[in-house]
Amino acid sequence: MGLIVVGLNHKTAPVEIREKLAFNTEASTREALKKLIKLESVGEVVIFSTCNRVEIYIYSEKQSEIADVIKEFLAKFHQIDITDFEKYLYAYTDRDAVMHLFRVASSLDSMIVGEPQITGQVKASYEIALSERTTSLILNHLMNRALFTAKRVRNETRIGENPVSVSYAAVDLIKKVFHELDKKSVLLIGAGEMAELAMKHLISSGIKNIFVTNRTYKKAEELAIKFHGVATLFENLKQEIVSVDIVICSTNAPYYVINKEIIKEIMSQRKYKPLFFIDISVPRNIDPACDEVENVYLYNIDDLQNVVDSNLFERGKEAEKALKIVEEETEKFFQWISSLQSVPVIVSIRTRAEQLRQEEFEKFKNRFKDLSPEVLSSIDYLTQSILNKIMHSPTIALKNNCEDKEILIFAARRLFGLDSDEE
Amino acid sequence: MGTLFFEIALTLYFAGFLLSISELVRKKTDFEKIIFILCLSGFVLHTVYLAVRYIISGQAPVFSMHEATSFFAWSILSLSIFINYFYRTKILNFGIILSFLLMFISAFFSRNIPIIKPELRSPLIDLHAILALFGIALFSIAFIFSILYLIQEKSVKSKKFGGFEKILPSLEILDRMNYRLIFWGFPVYTVALLCGLIKYLHLGEIVFDPKQVCSFITWIVYLAIFYLMVKGDWRKKKAAYLTIIGFLLVIIGFFGVNLLTESFHRKLWA
Repeated sequence: MGLIVVGLNHKTAPVEIREKLAFNTEASTREALKKLIKLESVGEVVIFSTCNRVEIYIYSEKQSEIADVIKEFLAKFHQIDITDFEKYLYAYTDRDAVMHLFRVASSLDSMIVGEPQITGQVKASYEIALSERTTSLILNHLMNRALFTAKRVRNETRIGENPVSVSYAAVDLIKKVFHELDKKSVLLIGAGEMAELAMKHLISSGIKNIFVTNRTYKKAEELAIKFHGVATLFENLKQEIVSVDIVICSTNAPYYVINKEIIKEIMSQRKYKPLFFIDISVPRNIDPACDEVENVYLYNIDDLQNVVDSNLFERGKEAEKALKIVEEETEKFFQWISSLQSVPVIVSIRTRAEQLRQEEFEKFKNRFKDLSPEVLSSIDYLTQSILNKIMHSPTIALKNNCEDKEILIFAARRLFGLDSDEE
Repeated sequence: MGTLFFEIALTLYFAGFLLSISELVRKKTDFEKIIFILCLSGFVLHTVYLAVRYIISGQAPVFSMHEATSFFAWSILSLSIFINYFYRTKILNFGIILSFLLMFISAFFSRNIPIIKPELRSPLIDLHAILALFGIALFSIAFIFSILYLIQEKSVKSKKFGGFEKILPSLEILDRMNYRLIFWGFPVYTVALLCGLIKYLHLGEIVFDPKQVCSFITWIVYLAIFYLMVKGDWRKKKAAYLTIIGFLLVIIGFFGVNLLTESFHRKLWA
């Protein structure tokens, strides 16, 4: 068959090259598709472009020359020298190409394995190609199988289930303790990129009551505006903690801002309502001993990192399962491809036979002109059913996926004289 | 005697039980719907079975060991289905496991309809038995929530994940459900014991029946749990431990006393 993919991704090419070759907008993708499909050697085409990869899938009768055609096209379209990007490109054909696409769609080839967006991106790219009518039988089937494979991987493995970023992991943990986050409140002590990221995730999970405190009140006010929260005085820290459910701590203090004694006092004041601490600061601001107090849950940056690491490890194990699914689906795709090849043979054998029958029937009718229409139609029916009976087992044999199918197809062509016209 | 209904219900429970175990082992929730359907259809047939027995005998189907255990299973499952459906809390897996086990045990007891001594035949006794069984079913579900609470709490505290705790609800939900069930279970159980007590006093015989003693101890424990929980001092982990202790007493009272001692409850029927 003539399937090929040419492209580059985050593993093979630096971002400078990727951004130059990317099809950033839907319009540019459509334009490129239009130009590609006009090329003589291109039969069907899909362009897949994200911030991490640019790939062009092509089905072509002239597979051997297509890689160069695509390179030239990319150079011309993006006005960049072939030599600048050539060495970053990869090209896979047939089985490798199919497997590659299935892996990409299932997020096994992603920078963060298992991240879910990629399947949607594959779908969107396919839909663009579909609306530009640059796909047909082969690529339509290929793309649908890719999306199906991704779905299977998602359903049958646990590849995308556990969060693999620290701030997501934090929110995930908080949800193990608290149910309705929209009725909970959070206090942010200090500032910092990761703390703010965690806050953002919390807010998108529904939390609404937000308090911010800082040694410098002005900073607290700034952040409070950013998160639509309330700035509070650092001096009132203890009182604030008594009334909130979640505390995110990220200050530069080189000592424990909160120790076990304070926590005990706070907990008895809040009647041991659960309290979740996330201590992102290095050095730590919350005494690890606080964790010993009942209904206090304390996670520092290392704990979160451990959760993330074990999730990543889990994903690695799941990726092996996923790869098996990809292999299975690739196999299925090729079964489909090869069944496709026997179909034209069967069709031409049957047309040929039907043609012969028609010719002979006409001759017969001319010779016995006085036969009644009833008899004629009976004879018509008889010859048809004989033909069908004779054709039945060759058809089945050709349709079956046996090992020596190619030989069978070859033999059938010879036996039924399908190639005689060409000789 | 509608035994077929019982057998089919038991089979459906068994299927639900297997799928639930499978979900927990694989840490997945993909059989949720089918488990629900299996439980619900099993439950309906079980209900028919109980109704048939009631119609035939004219007394609540709760007096022989077979009947009591099967009614206990029925109550647990009805509550599990209710909570699972209306509170959107994943409890059916555990409910069906417990229900199936009880149902399985009940299959081994004699299925003959018990003949109650005429002097004990009274709506008060029916009510006593039904409420007591329903009350301990509420306690059983509370027990399940408590166990789950401790599992979830342990994984969050120890920072070790990877078990089936990932498909469990949050600690907040688990604690809240435990509270609710004790909150409803205790009054139901109290009324049940009162009904029994009234009838007992009516009979005028003073016997120290092991079952009564055990039920009374159980009641005292749940009174303590109820009081501490409602007052708000003992929630979360402590409440979970108490609920587990209470449940163990319930089980001792239910099986141990009935089977091992010469309880007056055992000589209920002629």
